[in-house]
Amino acid sequence: MFTWLCGGALAVCVLLVLVLMGILAVNGFGYFWQKPVDLVVLDDGTALMGEIHDREEIDEGDGPTGRFRIRMKLGNRDLTGSDFRWIDQDRIVDQSRPADALVLERMEWGNFYGSPVELRRDGELLVAGVMDIRSTLPSLHRKKLALLADIHELETGAIGDVNYEIEERTRALRKLQLGGGDPTRSDASQAEIDARNRAYRQLAEQLSVFREELLRETLVMEAADGTRQEVPIGSIVRAIEPNSLDTGEAVSLYFSRIREFLLDDPREANTEGGIFPAIFGTVMMVFIMVFAVTPLGVLAAVYMREYAKQGWVIRAIRIAVNNLAGVPSIVFGVFGLGFFVYLVGGSIDRLFYAENLPAPTFGTGGILWGSLTLALLTVPVVIVATEEGLAAVPRSTREGSLALGATKFETTWKVVVPASAPGILTGIILAMARAAGEVAPLMIVGMVKLAPSLPLDHHFPFVHLERKFMHLGFHIYDVGFQSPNVEATKPLVFATALLLVVIVSLMNLVATWVRNRLRSKYASSAV
Amino acid sequence: MDRAGSWLVRGSGFVIIASILGILLFILIEVGPLLGGAEVAVRGSFSLPGPDASGGIADDYRSRSGFLDPTGRITVLSIPEGETVLQTDALSGTDLLTTAAHRSGRFFTGTTSTGEVLMLPFSYRYEWNGDNRSVVPEPGEARLFHLAGPDEPVLLYDISVDPDGGTTVVAWTGGDRLTILQEREEESFLGDGEIVETRTTRSVPPTVSSLSLDDTGRHLFAGTTEGDLLSWDLEEGIDDAVVAERDGRAPAVTATTLLLGGRTLVVGRADGSIGIWFRVRDDGQLLLRRARVFETMSRPITTLTPSPRNKGFAAMDDSGRLGLFHSTSHRVLWTGEAPVPNPAALSFSPKADGLVVTGRNGFAELDLHNPHPEISLGALFGKVWYEGYEEPSLTWQSSSGTDDFEPKLSLVPLLVGSLKGTFYSLFLAIPLGVLGAMYASQFMHPSLRGVVKPAVEVMAALPSVVLGFLAGLWLAPRLEEVLGSMILLAFAAPLTAILTGLLFSQLPARIRHRLPTGLEAVATIGTLAVSGWLCLRWSAPFEQLLFGGPMKHWITDILGLPFDQRNAVVVGLGMGFAVIPIIFSVAEDAFSNVPRHLVAGSLALGANRWQTVTRVVLPTASPGVFSAIIIGFGRAVGETMIVLMATGNTPIMDWNPFNGFRTLSANIAVEIPEAPHGGTLYRTLFLAALLLFILTFAVNTVAELVRTHLRNRYANL
Repeated sequence: MFTWLCGGALAVCVLLVLVLMGILAVNGFGYFWQKPVDLVVLDDGTALMGEIHDREEIDEGDGPTGRFRIRMKLGNRDLTGSDFRWIDQDRIVDQSRPADALVLERMEWGNFYGSPVELRRDGELLVAGVMDIRSTLPSLHRKKLALLADIHELETGAIGDVNYEIEERTRALRKLQLGGGDPTRSDASQAEIDARNRAYRQLAEQLSVFREELLRETLVMEAADGTRQEVPIGSIVRAIEPNSLDTGEAVSLYFSRIREFLLDDPREANTEGGIFPAIFGTVMMVFIMVFAVTPLGVLAAVYMREYAKQGWVIRAIRIAVNNLAGVPSIVFGVFGLGFFVYLVGGSIDRLFYAENLPAPTFGTGGILWGSLTLALLTVPVVIVATEEGLAAVPRSTREGSLALGATKFETTWKVVVPASAPGILTGIILAMARAAGEVAPLMIVGMVKLAPSLPLDHHFPFVHLERKFMHLGFHIYDVGFQSPNVEATKPLVFATALLLVVIVSLMNLVATWVRNRLRSKYASSAV
Repeated sequence: MDRAGSWLVRGSGFVIIASILGILLFILIEVGPLLGGAEVAVRGSFSLPGPDASGGIADDYRSRSGFLDPTGRITVLSIPEGETVLQTDALSGTDLLTTAAHRSGRFFTGTTSTGEVLMLPFSYRYEWNGDNRSVVPEPGEARLFHLAGPDEPVLLYDISVDPDGGTTVVAWTGGDRLTILQEREEESFLGDGEIVETRTTRSVPPTVSSLSLDDTGRHLFAGTTEGDLLSWDLEEGIDDAVVAERDGRAPAVTATTLLLGGRTLVVGRADGSIGIWFRVRDDGQLLLRRARVFETMSRPITTLTPSPRNKGFAAMDDSGRLGLFHSTSHRVLWTGEAPVPNPAALSFSPKADGLVVTGRNGFAELDLHNPHPEISLGALFGKVWYEGYEEPSLTWQSSSGTDDFEPKLSLVPLLVGSLKGTFYSLFLAIPLGVLGAMYASQFMHPSLRGVVKPAVEVMAALPSVVLGFLAGLWLAPRLEEVLGSMILLAFAAPLTAILTGLLFSQLPARIRHRLPTGLEAVATIGTLAVSGWLCLRWSAPFEQLLFGGPMKHWITDILGLPFDQRNAVVVGLGMGFAVIPIIFSVAEDAFSNVPRHLVAGSLALGANRWQTVTRVVLPTASPGVFSAIIIGFGRAVGETMIVLMATGNTPIMDWNPFNGFRTLSANIAVEIPEAPHGGTLYRTLFLAALLLFILTFAVNTVAELVRTHLRNRYANL
C-alpha cells in the first residue's frame, strides 16, 4: 500500500504541473480569441452590450443559492467609468447577439461596444447606414493606420534624432562650462542647439498637421443604452463585428492579435497592446549577462578543475560556489544595488558624467547593472556545468595531447575546453533560463514598468547600458498587482506568463537535451 | 607562453572566486556602521563678549551660532572663524535674570527680575547667489509674558508653541501654585483670527524642581525634589496633578525635557539616572510609566536637551560630564567631558550633527557623527517599548508621514514571517517531494521516466513570478470559496491512493498482471483527479456540515481570527509547488544512489519490495532525505516573488494560517527602492539580506556536508 501512497504523491506532483500548465494555456491562449458580443436587457429596461466573461453561483454569505450571475465586459470606459459588471441572471429578460454589433479596440479608453450610426468628416455627414459604413470604414481605417505609421516614423526618426542631438549638445555645453572652457566654443555650441531647436519646431508643426488629419474622420457609435459617442478613425486599432465573423476571419484575427502582443508597444499604461519592449529588454539583458557570465564561469571552472591543486581548499571553494546558487536572489539584488549601482555607478558618474549630476547616469538602476547582478547570480550554474563537462573529458584525451608535445595551456584550451563545449553550453543555457525568469533582484537594480526608449537604437554608441529596461517577469508583477484595473488586465498577464513559461521551459529542455547528448557522446567514446 | 597562460588562468580564476565570495564581505561592510557609536570631536572653542549667555542657536549649515546674554544682547558668531557677525540689543532696558535657548531652536527664553517670562524668536535666512550661500541671522520681536507680580521673580518656567502658533507658558515663583498662560487664535464670527488669552493656575507641591510642557501645550509635567513626577492635562480643569507611580523613595528630579514629537518625557535625577517615561492609558486614565532607564551618569543631571532629528537626547551632570543617548534603542552613544569650563547649557544644531556647549564665558562646538543611533541589537531583535504603545512589542514599521515618527525596526516579525511561509510550504512539499522521489527511484517503471522527468524539470524551471501571480490572483480568490476542500483533500488524497491500491489488488489476477509493476502512479492519476474534483464539488456541503456555514465565516465569526484573502495557505501552496522539485531531485538522488547490492541482498534474503524500501533504502538514505528537506527550507526562506505577490505583506506576527505576513525577502523588495542610500533603513535592509545569506549559506553547507558524507558511506558499503 505504501507503494501506492508513494505513487500517489508522484501522481499529485504531475497532476499539479498539468493543472498549472492547463490554467496558463487556457487563459493565456484564450486572451487572443474574440468572444461574441451579447446584448442583454435587464428587468428595469437597462440594455447592456458586451462580452460575457464569467459565470458563478451567487453566494450571499450562507452557502450557494442556486442562482447564478454573469460577469460582462462592457467596455465604454469613457462613458461608464468601469470595464466590468456583475449581473444577476434572474434579472435578464432578453439576451441576443445582434449581427451589427461592433467592437472598436481603441488607442485610449479601451474597447467600445455598440452599433455604428454614421461616418463623419470634419463634423459633416459622410456616410450613414450599416452597409455603407461596412464598405467605407476598412479602406478609411487602412489609410489612417498608414498615417499612424508615418507619425510613428516621424516621432522616432527625425524628431527623436533632433531631440537626441539637442540633449547631447546641451550636455557637451554643460561639460564645457563646468570645465571653464573658452566662451567662443560654448557660444558656437549654443548656436548649434538653437538651430536644432528650430528644426524641432518645424518637425513638431508637421506632426501636428498629421495628427489633425488623423482626427478628421470620426465614426459615430451608439452604445446599448442609446448614448452616442464619436470615435476618431485614427484612434481605432481594430474594428470587429464579432457576431458575424466566419472561422477564417476569426482565426486571422486571433493571429493578428498574437502578432500585436509580441511585436507592438504597450498602450494604456501597459494594460493593452503588446509587450515587445519587455521581450526585447529581457532578451537583451540575458545576452549581456551571457557576455559577462561565460568568461567568468569558464575561467573559474577551468582553474578549479585543471589548474588548482585538488586539496581541501578547492573542495571548500567548490562547496561555497555550489551553495551560492542556493542564496536567495534578493540578496544578490541588494548586493547589486549597493555595489554596482551606488558604488561603481556612482563613481562612474563622478568621473565621466559630472555634467549631469545630481541626476545620475550610471548611478541608478540600468540594464548593465541588472545583467551583472544576474551574472553573479548565475555564475555558479555555469561553473558547475563547465566542471561537469571538463570532468567528462576522458583522461586519455588529455594524455594524448600532452604526449604529442602540446603544453598544458594548449591542451587545456585547444583540446579539453572545446571537448567540453556542450557542458559549457548547457551551463549557459541554464543560466539564461534562470535569468529570464528572475525578477526579485532586477526590481531593485534597474527595471521599470514603462521604459521610454529601448536600450538599443541607432544613436551612437547604439547600446545604451545605462538605460532602464522592461522585463517580462516584472511586467507580470507590475501589471498584475500594481495596475489600477487588475480585472481587466488579468488576461494580458496570463498571456505574458504563458510566454515566459514557454521561453524558460524551452531553454531548460534544450539544455537537458544538450547535456544528454554530451553524456552519450562520452559514454560511447570512453572505451 | 604556457607559464603566462597558466598564471593568467590561475590569477583570474582565483580573483573570480574571491570576488564571488566578496559579496558577503561587501554586505558586511555595508551593515557594519549600524552598530557603531557616535563619533564626537571638538570643532572649536570660542569666547563670548558677555558672561552667562544662553545656549546657542545654530543655522542649518552650522556656520553661525547665536546667543542671548542677560543684558538683553544677541551675539552671533561665525563658525569656525569665531568672528562676531551681529551684535544687537534685542531688549533695551530690560534686565534678565536668566536666559536660555528653547529646545526647538526657534527662540530664546528668559526671565526678568520683575516676574516676566521672555520669548524672543530667532531664526536664520538663507540667501543663494549662484552657488554661494549667505546666512543672515534674524532676531524677531521680543515678547514678555506677565505671569507674576513685579517682586516675584520666576524660578521655573517652560514655553511651548504648537503647530498652529498657539503659545503656552507655565511659570512657578515659589509657593504652591503654578501659573499657566495660554494664547490661542480663535476664529471669530466674522472669520478673522482673534487672539484669546486664558490664565489659569494649578496647585503644586512647594518642592517642585522642574517643569516641562509638551509641544501641543496641553500636557504639563513637573518633577519634585522628593522624586515624584506630576502631570496635568491642561484641557481638563483639574487642579491636582496625577502623580506617577512612586518607585520607593526616588532621588530628587533635577531636570526634565520632552523628546522630539513631545510624547516622551525624559527625567534626570540627583543620582545621575535618566528615566524615559511614556503616558500610557490604564483603566481609562492616562498615567506616566517608566519605559527604560539609563544609569551611565553618576552625578545630578543638570541639563537635558532633545535631538531635533530623532528620539535621542543629550544630558549633562553637575561635574560637566556630557552624554548622548537614544531612547528607542536604549543606547548610550557617547559620554565625555564638556570642552568648556563651567558648562551651563546644551543645544543641538538643527540637523543634530553638532552640539553647542555654553559655559560661563564662552562656548564650544562639538561635531557629532551619529548616523544610526536608533539601532541596537535590542532594537533589532528584542521587545522595545515604543512611544504610544501600551507595552513593549516586536514591531516593524520603518516609515510614516510625520517627521517626529519613531522608526520601529524589529526584524523579528519578518523572521517569523519567513519561517511561517516556509513552514506552510514545507507542509505540502515534504510529503509530496520525498514520497514521490522514493517512488521514482525505487518502484517506477522505466517507461515513466519520460513523463516524470520533464514534469519535474518544468516544475523546477517555472519562474517564481508566474507562481506568485497564479497564487495571488488566480488561486487566492478561488481558495477562499473552497477552504473546506483543502481539509478534505489532505485526507482524501492519500486515502484515494491507498484505496486505489486496495481495489486494484482485489481485481482478478488476469487484469492485474496486464499492468506491469511500477505503473501505480499512472493508475492513481485518474482516481486522484476524480477525488480532487469531488473534494472541490463537495466543499460547500462539507463546510456546512462541519462549520454550519462557509468555513471563512466560521474562522472570522466563531474563532474570531482575522482572515486575509492572500494568506499563508495560499503561500504554502504556491511556494510548496516551487520547493517540491528541489526536495524531489535531492531525495531522488539519495535514494537511487543506495548501492544496488544492498537492495539486491535484501531482496535475495526474502524481503519484499516494501520491506526492502523501509528497512534498507530509507535508513541508508535518510541523511540524504534530511539534506533534501533543508535545501528545500533554504529555498523557501529566501523566496521573494511568491510571498510578495501571494500575501498581503503586513508585518504581523502570528501562526494563523489564514492571515498574511511579511518575510525578510519581501520586505527588502518592498522597502529598499525607497530607502535613502546609506541611511539606517538601507543598512537595516542590508542586515536582513545578510541574515538571509548566512541562513541559507549555513543550511546549504550543512546539507552539502551531509551529502558528501553520505556519498563516502555509499562508496564504502
